Amino acid sequence: MKIVVAGKGGVGKTTVSGTIARALSRAGNDVLALDADTNPMLGVSLGLGPEETDLLVAVRQGLDTGETEHEKTTEGFVQRFGRDAPDGVRLVVASRIERANPGCACCGVSAESLLAELESEGKIIVGDLEAGIGTVMRLQEGHADVVLVVAQPTAKSLFIARRAVELTDDRGGRVIVVANRVRDDEDLAVIREAVGDCEMVIVPDEPAIALADREGRAAIDVDEDAPGVRVLIELADRLASMAVPA
Amino acid sequence: MSTTVARATGLRLAVVGKGGSGKSTVSGTLARILARRGHRVLALDSDTLPGITFSLGAELTDDVPLNAAAERNEKGRWHFIKGVGPARAVQRYATDAPDGVRLLQIGKNDRRGVGPNRASHNAFYQIVHRLDDVRSLDDWVILGDLPAGARQAAYDWAPYARHFLLVVEPTWQSMLTARRVARITKAMRDDVTLSLVVNKAEGDADAVRAQEFLDVPLIAIVPVDEGVRRAERAGIAPLDGAPDSPAIRAIEGLADALDAGSIERI
Repeated sequence: MKIVVAGKGGVGKTTVSGTIARALSRAGNDVLALDADTNPMLGVSLGLGPEETDLLVAVRQGLDTGETEHEKTTEGFVQRFGRDAPDGVRLVVASRIERANPGCACCGVSAESLLAELESEGKIIVGDLEAGIGTVMRLQEGHADVVLVVAQPTAKSLFIARRAVELTDDRGGRVIVVANRVRDDEDLAVIREAVGDCEMVIVPDEPAIALADREGRAAIDVDEDAPGVRVLIELADRLASMAVPA
Repeated sequence: MSTTVARATGLRLAVVGKGGSGKSTVSGTLARILARRGHRVLALDSDTLPGITFSLGAELTDDVPLNAAAERNEKGRWHFIKGVGPARAVQRYATDAPDGVRLLQIGKNDRRGVGPNRASHNAFYQIVHRLDDVRSLDDWVILGDLPAGARQAAYDWAPYARHFLLVVEPTWQSMLTARRVARITKAMRDDVTLSLVVNKAEGDADAVRAQEFLDVPLIAIVPVDEGVRRAERAGIAPLDGAPDSPAIRAIEGLADALDAGSIERI
């Protein structure tokens, strides 16, 4: 099963991806977390720590400087550029952030081609996409089973969330909106108005998640019983149940 | 310093940082505050997602005027249309934003992607690379709000900028991103200065922490602010929605610092 997470920068995509990946793995699933953001940070939300996360990027950047040899196979890619994160999640950083070919937007391996190639039989892939709607626009049949669109109650984030929902609907893909940092009815109302009547889970504004962000830790390690974290763990349970063929 | 830039007396700024850190809030508000103080201000929006347009309180339209500025020749290469250069392109295709700010937009991607806006992307790229030659803008403040992350800084989308304002919020993700942007900017441009704006700060300790981590001089601390949050929820400019809020006062302080030339002028 392939789950991808999209949304504006700063809305909490990475927190959602990291928490869901950890929860899925804890529940006994074989989980591959794919950091497809051009500014890779998923390691932080998985609980690897900020500096360790930056080191992973440096390994990928070795490709730029010629210190690291390119990898031809996706299997080898997962092996060589991956790392074990807590709870048995395997993390792979897909994007390079610095210069590859000037003018080239995807910079190295594109998220959608990796999603197409990675074997998801018997495992769950959680892909944290780059901010915005670029990758969502390029997703095709077979790239993702579920698109989680993370939104927060700001006009800018909702502009992007609405686009991502429309694009996924156009393809006939399954979309779930994760309404994040919801404090009150007004917050919820603006999100609902923007995304229409699609499936939605509501993550309350959560001090435990804010603390995790400030300290560079995984939210699930800060407080797995905090209401906002619980919502994401429950979402992971639901996603896992979808993975089982009827 | 390079002789090609010695003429410009107006501020040349680019605002960078992680998505969600508040780049647009800072740049949109700053542009209007500087305009209210009598500066002529050109705001450059090279983001294909909505950012500074919302924060300025400018109208968000599907129409992309700059698409009219460029065309493709028979070999497929883009060039300005006849009679248009960077000066005229700015004059003709920038639009009015509140307080007299002029806004040049690359154009927002719709569900069809970049495709429909290729002309505008090419025109925009050429304009930013030739702004230093536009004498009529010499005493203007030019302020660019770059898209999130490091890519545009790395690909040289702000060659006009002499000062980069690095906006960071006190989260590790934001600080790591800022460090990546700072490294790339320093490696690519030895002719620019970099200053730190700590946004959504819950106290001065946040600013100290960010400054120590990034080793970039601090120019402003913008506190976390309920008024700004509400304005952003409503999709209105923070300067209109929360004019007396602590965050807006802090950005006024940033304008003071820039006006007084507390960062090195070229």
